[in-house]
Amino acid sequence: MRRALRMRAERRQLVTAEAEVLGELRRLRARLPQLTGALAASADGLVLAHDTVDGEAETVAALTAAALGVGQRLTDSTGQGRFRELLVRGETGYVATYAAGASAVLTLLAEPRINVGRLHLEARRSSALIGELVDGALERKDLN
Amino acid sequence: MANTETSLKEAAAIEGTIGAALVDYTSGMALGTIGGGNELDLTVAAACNTDVVRAKVRAMELLGLKDEIEDILITLGGQYHLIRLIKARGANGLFLYLALDKSRANLAMARHQLKKIEADLEV
Repeated sequence: MRRALRMRAERRQLVTAEAEVLGELRRLRARLPQLTGALAASADGLVLAHDTVDGEAETVAALTAAALGVGQRLTDSTGQGRFRELLVRGETGYVATYAAGASAVLTLLAEPRINVGRLHLEARRSSALIGELVDGALERKDLN
Repeated sequence: MANTETSLKEAAAIEGTIGAALVDYTSGMALGTIGGGNELDLTVAAACNTDVVRAKVRAMELLGLKDEIEDILITLGGQYHLIRLIKARGANGLFLYLALDKSRANLAMARHQLKKIEADLEV
């Protein structure tokens, strides 16, 4: 019960960061026009903010959390340190997930023609910023 | 015939070279880099110059120019940046990127040498 209350309080704090995170997602999409969707989620699969991953944001966030779990175990068990990013290429596009601070991830959908080098550059920068926003919101909660 | 590593070493040996990279412009990722150091992050250069090449390819398409790009020269205050598209067999969508120090480099010579490296390259 206490855990559930704590999680709900955390969730409320994360929502306070939503506007700023959404702003960053929009700026990221402006910098990379070949993105087809952007989403920030907590590591346990809750949507924090999303920019046109229409209707499927919850599904993508939940799947991201599952992929993140596998990714973390993979990097852990092969001695590669903590999870940083995951890139999946499908026949008609990419899905990329980047760690954002200690408790969030950034997931991006992109057209197959995207410049992957630029995608990494821009997304690494954005995920660091989103990480700071989310971790900052959680810290503020701890101080209260 | 030379492989990626040998070709990049030859590029680094060109007078005045700051750094060089072999880049896949379908993905924007570098297949190999040499030099650069703190002065020039070659993975960033690879990603951003991919957009330069793509923009020029697109411009030619729209202009209806049925031709191909041989090289692109960008002149800065203190540097030359040379982009040479690879036309070798089986090496589609690659370019060589060379950053030169303007005060030490001989542009004509560098361009000539880069052409030779490109012709010998086998990926």
